[in-house]
Amino acid sequence: MNFDANTIIYLLEIIVGGLLVGIGVHFVPVGGAPAAMAQATGIGTGTVQLAAGSGLTGLLSAGLMMYAMTLSPTFAQDGYSIWPILLTGAVGAMIMMDATMLTGSWIYAYAVGAPFASAKVNYDPITKFSQPPYVAPGTVGQGIPTVCFVSGTIGAAMGGLGGAMIYFPLVQINGNPAMSAIFAIGIFMVDAVLASWNIQGTIEGFHDPKFKKWPKAFKACLVSTAILAVVAILITPLVGGA
Amino acid sequence: MDAFGMGLVAAMGALATVAGASEDIDSDIGSQSNPNSQVQLAAQVGNPHRIYNKAIAGEPPSNALWCTTAAIMAYVLIEGYGMPLLFAAAAGASLAALFDGVMSVSAYLGRNASQARFNQWIYLDILRYTTPSIMAHVWITSFCIVLISIMQVYILTPHHPFPIPVIALVWGLTVGAIGSSVGDIHYGGEREFQWRLFGQGLNTMLSGQIVRKAEAGLRNSIDNAWFCAKFGGPCTGMGFGLTVFLDNWRTTVFDPITQATYAILMGVFFVIVMNLYNFYCELSARRKYGPYPGYKGDIAA
Repeated sequence: MNFDANTIIYLLEIIVGGLLVGIGVHFVPVGGAPAAMAQATGIGTGTVQLAAGSGLTGLLSAGLMMYAMTLSPTFAQDGYSIWPILLTGAVGAMIMMDATMLTGSWIYAYAVGAPFASAKVNYDPITKFSQPPYVAPGTVGQGIPTVCFVSGTIGAAMGGLGGAMIYFPLVQINGNPAMSAIFAIGIFMVDAVLASWNIQGTIEGFHDPKFKKWPKAFKACLVSTAILAVVAILITPLVGGA
Repeated sequence: MDAFGMGLVAAMGALATVAGASEDIDSDIGSQSNPNSQVQLAAQVGNPHRIYNKAIAGEPPSNALWCTTAAIMAYVLIEGYGMPLLFAAAAGASLAALFDGVMSVSAYLGRNASQARFNQWIYLDILRYTTPSIMAHVWITSFCIVLISIMQVYILTPHHPFPIPVIALVWGLTVGAIGSSVGDIHYGGEREFQWRLFGQGLNTMLSGQIVRKAEAGLRNSIDNAWFCAKFGGPCTGMGFGLTVFLDNWRTTVFDPITQATYAILMGVFFVIVMNLYNFYCELSARRKYGPYPGYKGDIAA
């Protein structure tokens, strides 16, 4: 490939996308296995898995939107416009995350029978509901209170935005959607895992004291994504590419 | 927007609902994901049991593996041999189910053999009649997801630019993430601990004290599937169905080329509605179950 001013822009886009994924993971309220047993606040699964599930759903939407742009009759003059691609990625990820949290809430509320409560704050910052009276002894909260839900939505939006932002330059570099998607999934996973280590696997959202550790994940993701971005722009497909 | 596209999106939503439900029941029968920690712990704290115990990987990676395996075989049959789409999807799903059977058996034998010192037995009858039901559910999941991918790539316009295996990988990851976050709560929080006090979270002291007796006889994993198929499975299906349906609906109703803004705004509208609905769930749970009776702090409920 040719190295020009665009290459720098592509590199920066991939790095910013990776950072968005890394920070976005900090917003997603995950409680791990204890949350699945109604012993901890948040969604009952692992950070990386949920972030990947939502971010990659956004990637599918972004991929479709980007391809649809090439079908436009004015594409030859206009080229790609970045905002619809990024925003549709964010919205796709938010829809997945919200559908997951909502159906999870049904089970907490109507099957397990647990009032939603966070053990990290005394009052929900959004609804101002009191939390400690509803936390059963031997648990660290249950369910998905409003503040966690909103935080998860923000995290999904950042994850989807980041995934789309990694995918967008890759397609322009190598012209192969499949390879770009796989590489975007790879970069996504690296940043999500780094952030997950930073929060030690569980977090409740932006109100959790662990959230203050985000600068460490920011630095780690910056280094790792910068390396991956250089590799990503050097790789071109043997067949079917531009 | 055309009627054919809308019909396809509706069919995709229905297939996704079935896939989500069967994925969750598969993980419940095998105690695959988060609740596996309790099944694993039970024998160690002196409660040997007759529950199937497979944790091949986290649900998202393992389902991504089955769905991609199925999709690769379907892709080869369609592109290389010109086979009919439905036949290719069915053949791919059968291969995925076989893979899953092999890994489930080795997981069950390995895990229970390693717990021999805790008096946990390997029950060959459990192995014999539970493994086929796990495989059957994996078949349904991977079949539905491969069909969704085939529809997105070959039929729905605009065709998706990713090849079938990549789409199946993403949907497999997503269905696993949803099954692990939604259906597991019903199995882990409700079915495994049925005699805890209702209306509160599960005390950590109860860890490992899972229910081992069934309505008749000793409980096994088929009993768990019977229970979880009533609420946990359908909820998981609803979660995945909503994801696939709403996400594709907005780009089918609104043309992504000329009406991209409307498609995005529609998605934002769905998100706001779901946020409000969760607030309603929170309100109703707090009203129904109330504060913990023994709470001694000074913050008013």
